[in-house]
Amino acid sequence: MNFDLSTIANNINYIGAMILFIIGLYTVLTHSNLIKKIIGINIMETSIFLFFVSIGYVKGAVAPIIDPSTGDKVFVNPLPAAMILTGIVVAVSITAFALSIIIKIHEAYGTIDLDEIMKIRSVEEDE
Amino acid sequence: MSNIHFPVYILMLLLIFAVTIPLQRKSYGRRFQILMVSVLGIAWIMALLELLMVLWDAPYSYTFGSYPAGIGIEFLVDEFSALMTLIVLTLSLLIIIYSLKDLEHEIESSRMYSYYTLVFLLIFSMIGMIFTNDMFNLYVFMEILSITSVAIIAIKKKKDTLMASMKYLMMGAIGSVTVLMGIALIYMVTGQLNMSAINEEISAVWRLYPRNILLAMGFMITGFSIKAAIFPLHNWLPDAHSTAPTPSSALLSGLVVKAYIFSIAKIMYRVVGKNISVDIGIADYLIIFAVLSMMMGSVFALTQRDIKRRLAYSSVSQIGYIFLGLALASEMGFSAALFHVVSHAFMKSALFLSAGSIIYLTGKRDVKNLDGIGYEMPITMTVFSIGVLGMIGIPGTSGFMSKWYLGLAVLDAGHPELLIVLLLSSFLNALYYLPIIVSAFLRESPGRPLEMHRDGIPGTMKVSMVLVAVGSLVIGLFPHLVMDIIQQAVPTFIGSGMGL
Repeated sequence: MNFDLSTIANNINYIGAMILFIIGLYTVLTHSNLIKKIIGINIMETSIFLFFVSIGYVKGAVAPIIDPSTGDKVFVNPLPAAMILTGIVVAVSITAFALSIIIKIHEAYGTIDLDEIMKIRSVEEDE
Repeated sequence: MSNIHFPVYILMLLLIFAVTIPLQRKSYGRRFQILMVSVLGIAWIMALLELLMVLWDAPYSYTFGSYPAGIGIEFLVDEFSALMTLIVLTLSLLIIIYSLKDLEHEIESSRMYSYYTLVFLLIFSMIGMIFTNDMFNLYVFMEILSITSVAIIAIKKKKDTLMASMKYLMMGAIGSVTVLMGIALIYMVTGQLNMSAINEEISAVWRLYPRNILLAMGFMITGFSIKAAIFPLHNWLPDAHSTAPTPSSALLSGLVVKAYIFSIAKIMYRVVGKNISVDIGIADYLIIFAVLSMMMGSVFALTQRDIKRRLAYSSVSQIGYIFLGLALASEMGFSAALFHVVSHAFMKSALFLSAGSIIYLTGKRDVKNLDGIGYEMPITMTVFSIGVLGMIGIPGTSGFMSKWYLGLAVLDAGHPELLIVLLLSSFLNALYYLPIIVSAFLRESPGRPLEMHRDGIPGTMKVSMVLVAVGSLVIGLFPHLVMDIIQQAVPTFIGSGMGL
């Protein structure tokens, strides 16, 4: 396996997806702000959408709409795109649900920073 | 009375009923409760007929709209899925009967209908996960399950539940994203989403792409392990399960984590296949995590004073047992794991429901305050004791039988050192469970006369609790009722994943 530039260029979307995945995971794990954590999860999800759609992509192919006048052509695989539509719906619903819980947390604690919430909770436990 | 459409009927019934509950919110009351229980009862009867049908005739695959498996979605109706559906519905039925009264003082009455909508969606998605033979369909059901299971925790209006459900949601989201990445990698190699088709492809070509398959399995198993709370990834579970309303705790601990375990089993045995899982080396790693779960869950449980937190940590160690059975990658190990799934579902539900009754009547959550409670609530504490004895593995309870089968499987697989771990973990279980029943029955409570009372909790709670405990005892005394079906199910389950 030789890692010349063309290998990287040909697989740039897979590499990009993996980098995005790691950025997302890093954001979720390191930030203490809950909204930023949600953004991190969204970045992770986006990376998978990119990855999945890249699998179905064929170079030089067109969208799979059969047009008798143009004759036979190479089509991209439509299945990953269809699955990713479902994936996006799932991602949106998780985000919406998480944000609604964050609103409740803000009502209860007055902050959305995890460190501060932990401080408030430890003070409450001491009392 | 046999019909190949029963799995779909069960799913449709639960789904349609779930979405019509909000329409009936004005009439929430006794009539609605009877309707709800009877809907689950009908689903239960269908699941029973389904199981009998599969046992008498043969397993079959169900394709939606008669599209062939490669194009459409396929359900695999075999002994395994039929049995697990029956267990899920039996326990959910009992837990819902329990919840009718218990919930009244845990969540507001105006939110009651939304709670039951969520619970029905939860049961629906669990059954879907059990039946499905399609990777992406599995993912969709898993997402429904993870959202609804967070929602039935967050519905209780307390500060603790908010943080617990946030943590659960975060971990769950990372888990499902990881699983989806694994599915994408598998799809990349095989171009298939149907589990049996993937298995055929993989067993033909896996030596060409060992690294890719290892990566895909790693992603998927890690993702499911987060949701099933295997040791290093367990830290959301105690918060989530202990702060939730009691019926939710019982559902989550008894059933929901099992749905993820089944998915791991499907990935290991049906998608990739037993031999390839062993050759790649996944199984050996899983044994390490299983052992860590078994030990650390018990060690953490020792230090907990809140009774529901103690039960939740004990779930971590019990899931370790199930995982150990899976990781042995032998037919005996897998049967032991499935048997423990069933027996743990009954024992843990009995424990959570009786702990919930104690909290319902006395409001006490601290194990130090339970002195003499056996006189005040004899039935509740008897149920609790049956659960405890099962967890420790006293002969006559279902827990003993599952440890017995697990021990035999461990010896059969040539790992006698794991038997010591198994015993050690049982001792730890005894160490943190027995003091509760000893102080409940033998100690005098301060300021309370030592006389027998009747439990003072509503009849529906008592009946469902006792039925769960009786179920646990019946499985313990007549293990063949379950084990015969499991032994019939395991070869078809593993066999269907052997491919060539």
